Amino acid sequence: MAFGTNSGSASFWRPKSFNDLPDEILQQVLYFVPPRDVLLSTQITTKRLYNLSSQPLLWRHHCRVQFKYWDPEHRILQKFLGGVGDVDWKALYVHRANVDAETTRVFNSIIEGQVNRIQKSKIIADFGYDAKDTLLLHCHADEGAEDYLARRQAPLKICLKYYANSVLDLVHRSKALAEWGKLLKGESIPLERAFGSFDLFVLHDQPGDFLEISDLLDTLVIRLQSEYANFEQLSKRKQAIAVVTFLRAHNITGLASELAYRDLQNNYIGIALQDQNHPSLPLISVAIFCAVAQRLGLDARCCSMPYHAHAMVCPPSNETLDGRLLDGDKAEPMYLDPYRSDIEVPVRNLRLMMGASGISQLDQSQLLNEASSANLIIRTAKNILATVHTFRDPGQNTSNHRPTIQLHGNPFADMDNAFYSALWAHFLFARQAGLDADEQRHFIPLILEKFEHLYPMDATLIEQYICPLFSNPSIAEHWELHETLRVVRAADQTPKQLRLRDTVAAREGIKYKVGQVFRHRRYAYIAVITGWDIECGMGTDWIAHNRVDSLPGGRNQSFYHALVQDTSIRYVAEENIEIWEPEIPKSLMCLAGRFFKRWDRENRVFVSNIRDEYPED
Amino acid sequence: MATSAVTEIKLVSNDNTETMVDRAVAERSMLIKNMLDDMGDGAFEQGIPIPNVNDQVLQKILTWCKHHKDDPPTAADDDSDSRKKTTDIEEWDQKYMQVDQEMLFEIILAANYLDIKPLLDVGCKTVANMIKGKSPEEIRKTFNITNDFTPEEEEQIRRENEWAEDR
Repeated sequence: MAFGTNSGSASFWRPKSFNDLPDEILQQVLYFVPPRDVLLSTQITTKRLYNLSSQPLLWRHHCRVQFKYWDPEHRILQKFLGGVGDVDWKALYVHRANVDAETTRVFNSIIEGQVNRIQKSKIIADFGYDAKDTLLLHCHADEGAEDYLARRQAPLKICLKYYANSVLDLVHRSKALAEWGKLLKGESIPLERAFGSFDLFVLHDQPGDFLEISDLLDTLVIRLQSEYANFEQLSKRKQAIAVVTFLRAHNITGLASELAYRDLQNNYIGIALQDQNHPSLPLISVAIFCAVAQRLGLDARCCSMPYHAHAMVCPPSNETLDGRLLDGDKAEPMYLDPYRSDIEVPVRNLRLMMGASGISQLDQSQLLNEASSANLIIRTAKNILATVHTFRDPGQNTSNHRPTIQLHGNPFADMDNAFYSALWAHFLFARQAGLDADEQRHFIPLILEKFEHLYPMDATLIEQYICPLFSNPSIAEHWELHETLRVVRAADQTPKQLRLRDTVAAREGIKYKVGQVFRHRRYAYIAVITGWDIECGMGTDWIAHNRVDSLPGGRNQSFYHALVQDTSIRYVAEENIEIWEPEIPKSLMCLAGRFFKRWDRENRVFVSNIRDEYPED
Repeated sequence: MATSAVTEIKLVSNDNTETMVDRAVAERSMLIKNMLDDMGDGAFEQGIPIPNVNDQVLQKILTWCKHHKDDPPTAADDDSDSRKKTTDIEEWDQKYMQVDQEMLFEIILAANYLDIKPLLDVGCKTVANMIKGKSPEEIRKTFNITNDFTPEEEEQIRRENEWAEDR
């Protein structure tokens, strides 16, 4: 009955000091001491506190509650599920906390100056998913998650948000390309990851990465199992029907309206699973079906059937889908269309569809087989390109419905990111999809153009995934790649040239300053000034092409670099600038962080973060 | 069951002082609650012995139990590891814990013995707050404990968990 160190009931033992508290109590106390204090101070107090401060349980707790995202290399889930003594939790905590601190340090230096951002982004991207928690914290700098942080960050609000997102985008792209890279090396990856890689290109700070997609699918499986208590007893064929019926009953697959067919969001498995309307193209519907069915033990695959994606479910060896035993023969698979139907699609219907399009019997049989992951990725990339093209040129679209671009961020940036992912997919899987080397090369200038203007921090990805394929210095692409990388890296490494208003011409000739928002008098877009020249600084070709000399002010007026809400950077003559008074469009606000710290409501200017270049603006 | 009819019970501290207390108040202690659940009505007559707690501390504990008598039951233990622990303490509890260290430690031990998890947490948080933000020397001073490390050992610990201080 007596507790712990009780020394008899006559003179009941009473704790006189801290050291009299039993270990179990002090351990509980340590749970409430911030880990940083434990490491820097508490554990250095006495030997006893040192020993208590080294308990694996304490550090496993901190690892669990302080960090949400871990790089897969830690295999953290297995660690949490395993024996607490199998892992040096204290060392792991210290490692991870140091990564977070280093991420913040490097990130702050990205914010502070325009130099060496490629190298700095790479340092963070190399931490992989270990950096994600910290980057997310900066993405949400304006949401007052923690007051002291919010106060410290308020003056840099939009800038932090912009760069945290852009470094996080790089982390995501690195993960996506690494996953596709596995496929290229002949490894197999889960279907939801082949498709989910497209999500990673557009994800920003939103949920929907590989793990979250996988969790959502697991949740669907649990729901299905609770609704179909006798699922295990059903034949494979009935199980497959149960899965597709379940998905359609909950509106997980398909589209509410075919009018919205080309909406960009329909291409993303993560969005399809999370959005309350679960919009998805046939291909994504098939992917969701297969991922769920596979989790339930069915041999479900995406079929190569062109035009309209179908799923197929293959029987186990020596058995039919109905459970009848066979000797020798292979039983037929079944086909399903989870996008629009919850009944089995007879194979003759598929043959009829293909026959109507002039596909030969022999090819039909080929197309009724499983599609390779490379093929599925190219199909999704094509769907994305179709949306981008229809969006840019809606005239071609007979339904007169301009696709909407509504993913996670600025719609123009979303479209850039989606387009960029499609270029990468085409380039990487061109050979697998039957394109020849020349066709593959077409994508290089397109990728490089995007890289130069929007994704300079991808230099390392281009070096990793594209350059090795063109290692022969005698081919044109080799030179083009290396030259572009050299130029982009040099621009990144060179401190910006100072632009001073130190002449009469500059003081009197340049009316506007960096940070002012204007509307283009002729083209009506809204943009913010990011730089200026006393007179037109472009070459004669550009001047001729843009008919600068036909402007009333000609080439000898001041010209401005401007960031437009559609993510482009343009060069504008002063006479075309009309200062914009109404509310700043949100799409511009989220891009402006690339050059600015915050919006100064009172003076109606963005506060410059490029004073290393324009110190007086 | 007839047990629910009993609304007041008698507690006997280790210095044999008897205290009558509302059953709902006493049941903040899981130890007492389980004893009441396990024993029949007859067990209450001679009182429930609390052999590890003296009257002064027991009264202090009961003050807390009275104030928190209507608190919702605490969450199950199993998810306590998955939530972040804060050292926030509600105002009444802060005042309650303004006692000398000896009493603070006695409250903690009694809460532990009587299995009053929320009170134990408040006690541990109070101690944690006395540790938070202090240097090793300040902690030793606060609790009157002596440094038993050699300078070499101290240096080694600092090295083994090399820590990016700049946060």
